[in-house]
Amino acid sequence: MMAARPRTLKDARAVYSTNSELAWWVFMRISGFLLVFLVFAHVFANNILTNAGTIDYDYVASRLAQPSVRILDSFLLGFALLHGMNGLRYSIDDYIKRPGVRFWVKVIAYTVAVAIFVVGVMTLWTFTFDEMGAAIRDLTPAQ
Amino acid sequence: MYRGREGQWAFFLHRISGIALVLYLLLHVFDISLVMYGPNGPFNRFLIFYHQWPFRIGLILIIAGVVYHALNGLRIILLDFTPWAIKYQRVMWYGVLAVTTAVGIPVLIKILPEIFGGA
Repeated sequence: MMAARPRTLKDARAVYSTNSELAWWVFMRISGFLLVFLVFAHVFANNILTNAGTIDYDYVASRLAQPSVRILDSFLLGFALLHGMNGLRYSIDDYIKRPGVRFWVKVIAYTVAVAIFVVGVMTLWTFTFDEMGAAIRDLTPAQ
Repeated sequence: MYRGREGQWAFFLHRISGIALVLYLLLHVFDISLVMYGPNGPFNRFLIFYHQWPFRIGLILIIAGVVYHALNGLRIILLDFTPWAIKYQRVMWYGVLAVTTAVGIPVLIKILPEIFGGA
């Protein structure tokens, strides 16, 4: 068990035995920097420029109709989920000691995260099940 | 529990806010995905539920967590990638708390009247 997470790029290279852990260490810093701007813009638009207590279907529909919102929120969804789930993985490794429990907690967490990612992409890019149904019917040859 | 100095508190708050934010993120994407059921689906009923004051106070706490986690994250990046920042890590943490408070006050002035009337 590692005593402390490395504090510099040089330490990280020396400590992490695998390239993937080093890559995650770098990813957390790059994605964190990008998320500062993505999340602030998202929170500002939906909580400061808007009264969050008035948000309803029409408001979300009008936002998701804008391509810029779809694109920015897609980056937000991807980076935030990867950054957040990797942070959760660090926390699980730190606080859940029993290997069996740790394994199953991770299985559940990753399964939920993948499902939420799929649902999020569907929401951003297809918007309604009706629209999606129509798109699928268009692709399916007539009976 | 924590008897360390500022750095340890900085870590602890970063952890707690990070775990809260990722759990909120999962719930938030699920909630918004209910728009897929269309205008007569469950979305508006869900949102009216979340517009009750305890959830709106919770959302203010989430915003506070976002601001702290973002600013402290920038502090961590500086500590990791610059040779000089470590000398100022403690004062930078107080800076993080000060800016979080400075951002938080106008946010409260904006949102609290929306919840409790007067807006």
